[in-house]
Amino acid sequence: MFAVRASGLSKRFEATLAVDGVDITVAPGEVRGLLGPNGAGKTTLLRMLFGLIGPDDGSVELLGRDLDGLGGEALEEVGGFVEEPSFYPYLSGRANLELLARLDGGPSRAAVAEAVAKVGLEGRGEDRVGGYSTGMRQRLGLAAALLRSPRLLLLDEPTSGLDPAGTQAVTTLVRDLAARGVAVLLSSHQIGELERVCDSYTVMQSGRVVWDGSAAELIAAAPASAYALATSDDEAALRIAAAHPDLRAGRARRGGLALAVAADRLDDFVLALGDARIAVRRLDLLASPLETMFFTLTADDGAAVAELEPEELAETVTAAS
Amino acid sequence: MNAIAPPAANAAASQPIGGADPIWNAFRAELGKLSAQLIVRLLAIAAVACPFAFAAVLKVQSGTPNDALFGVYVHSSGFAVSLVLLAFAGNWGLPVIAGLVGGDIFASEDRHGTWKMILTRSATRTDVFVAKLLAAFALSVAFTLLLALSSILAGIAFMGANSMVDLSGVTTPAGELLALTVLSWLLCLLPTLAFTSIAILFSVATRNGIVGVLGPLLVALITQLLNLIGKGVIVHLLLPGSAFLGWHGLFVEHRFLGPLVISSLVSVAWIVACIWASRHILRRRDFLTSTVESRTNWRAPVKAVAATAALVAVLALLSNVGPTADTEHRLSAAIGEEFNHLTLRQQELIGRHVPAGAKLDILPNCNRRAAKAEGPGDWNCSLNVYLPQGHAVPFSATSVEYDVSVESDGCFKASSPPSFIGGPTMKDVHGDTVTNPLYMVYGCFNVL
Repeated sequence: MFAVRASGLSKRFEATLAVDGVDITVAPGEVRGLLGPNGAGKTTLLRMLFGLIGPDDGSVELLGRDLDGLGGEALEEVGGFVEEPSFYPYLSGRANLELLARLDGGPSRAAVAEAVAKVGLEGRGEDRVGGYSTGMRQRLGLAAALLRSPRLLLLDEPTSGLDPAGTQAVTTLVRDLAARGVAVLLSSHQIGELERVCDSYTVMQSGRVVWDGSAAELIAAAPASAYALATSDDEAALRIAAAHPDLRAGRARRGGLALAVAADRLDDFVLALGDARIAVRRLDLLASPLETMFFTLTADDGAAVAELEPEELAETVTAAS
Repeated sequence: MNAIAPPAANAAASQPIGGADPIWNAFRAELGKLSAQLIVRLLAIAAVACPFAFAAVLKVQSGTPNDALFGVYVHSSGFAVSLVLLAFAGNWGLPVIAGLVGGDIFASEDRHGTWKMILTRSATRTDVFVAKLLAAFALSVAFTLLLALSSILAGIAFMGANSMVDLSGVTTPAGELLALTVLSWLLCLLPTLAFTSIAILFSVATRNGIVGVLGPLLVALITQLLNLIGKGVIVHLLLPGSAFLGWHGLFVEHRFLGPLVISSLVSVAWIVACIWASRHILRRRDFLTSTVESRTNWRAPVKAVAATAALVAVLALLSNVGPTADTEHRLSAAIGEEFNHLTLRQQELIGRHVPAGAKLDILPNCNRRAAKAEGPGDWNCSLNVYLPQGHAVPFSATSVEYDVSVESDGCFKASSPPSFIGGPTMKDVHGDTVTNPLYMVYGCFNVL
């Protein structure tokens, strides 16, 4: 049984086809990243999975239950939020959670307090939400999701507005939940963040799924990644690079070299440098396989990525992602 | 494939403390939200305090709100205070309560962006809709009852639980007045719920709390304007505010319940229609991103205003359709009989003997100066009094002129220059100052 099984989902808003025949599955214990540029249809898809938007076509099954488009029982044990979480500003954080919990049949106050503490809001739970920062509301949204003891989490930009420590905590939390069998569908613009937690990816563009697969499949299918390289003899390193047909190398503006190479080919090149007694002093990943893949799939002219100079590739891809 | 297991760390959170009924859970959540809002708390305070403040002001000044039915009696009976407040509440107070309670209960979720939070829990859209509806109805009923209780207590506390002349000129004992006053307030619950339903429809359809709150007030204003201009009885009875006037038929000697029953059924029809439409809109709605919705949010209020204007125009055209409510025959019969009762009452107050069953020979003649003798508005009634009892002076073959303001529901207020019938108060046989029953005559006749 899949935690999420959506088939042929489509949704049109007037002249715009926001989601076009999307199929997506998420298995228990799987963390699937949902990627796409603005307007790709990610949020509309998540809203359809939550029953906030009725699809024009297609079907949704959550935890084995058909979603009839109106939520309710089909959303039992489904937690999460879409876009930034919203709360009643005149109520405290704790009161907001108790209100949402009551809609679920009402976990105990102790469970609410536990959820507040788990997301690091202890001490601020009695403050009115109207005075919360974006990051605090984000944390409260996570607490609201956790209150449901979810078996499926649908999260839209869960680390938006969080500080690095908060982001790390969310990443750890998602992995912990996945380890306990919770399925997670995670939409984010932070590709680096997704790479740390996701087992698989679905990439959307213009309402359609343009790539879907596991992280390993993505790395295998990804075009060259970009690296910054500093060696003991950059001139000699460039000559060696020229002998590797799958690798493009050039001088970086800020010194050192820039490489564009698939991950599995990078090892050969580094070993060749060693054989030539050229020391590798620094090797930084500038654009990851996921980033280059994302850019290739979603750029207006994705095929041109392969033609970019390494440094240009790194700059373009990181800027886009 | 791994089996899906709930996280052990959250097991405690799955223990329900509320009922298993999702509507009940959602209803409690709605009540919790409403009770936390400042406007709702202020409304509760106002419902209790305003009647006491009104009665206190009346107590310290000699003037009376004569334009309201029973207004001239506010110093002589506490029930008049409550009934005057009921008349005002029917025009404005209860639509305001309905608007404040029902007009924002749905739109506030749009304003706060919280639909996506509450509709992704265990309660369905239907559960949430029913819960919000019940919460709005419960608060509307609670505030109406609070206002009723407060007005009765304030009236009795400041003016006393005294008997009072009814709308036929017959003196009604205090106990019966209390029962009728309570019943009158209870009868206003249905139209209050109708206005609450209208507020909810505005709130759901426009997603705008301001339109939701002001919508019922606009409807109340339209109702009053249509009551002023049209003489046909059909449109008047179909207006949502008509049921606020139904209690008038209880305060006459020969009670008439037809308009009350019809307007109550009309209230039910408004409630059902508004709930159905609101439910339909909410069920079909796509909850999009706030930015998408904000682009189109202005359209709904504009459409609502345009639709309301069109509806008013149609109703205004139809307001003369059907039989005429206010006719010369009905008004003459009502005011003649009432004048008889009130004259005898005045004679009793000044200590003259009025034999049981005594009846003046009165020939009423009602007309309108500048219009055909029908419909609401200003009338003039001549009451030619002939005395069968020789000692019952001073009305022997006297003609009394009354300026009469007639409402579309058949109720009227008649006043005459003091030179004819004396001032607003008079001395009774004991030397006490009492209300002159002939100074301001309130009456009602059946328009069906």
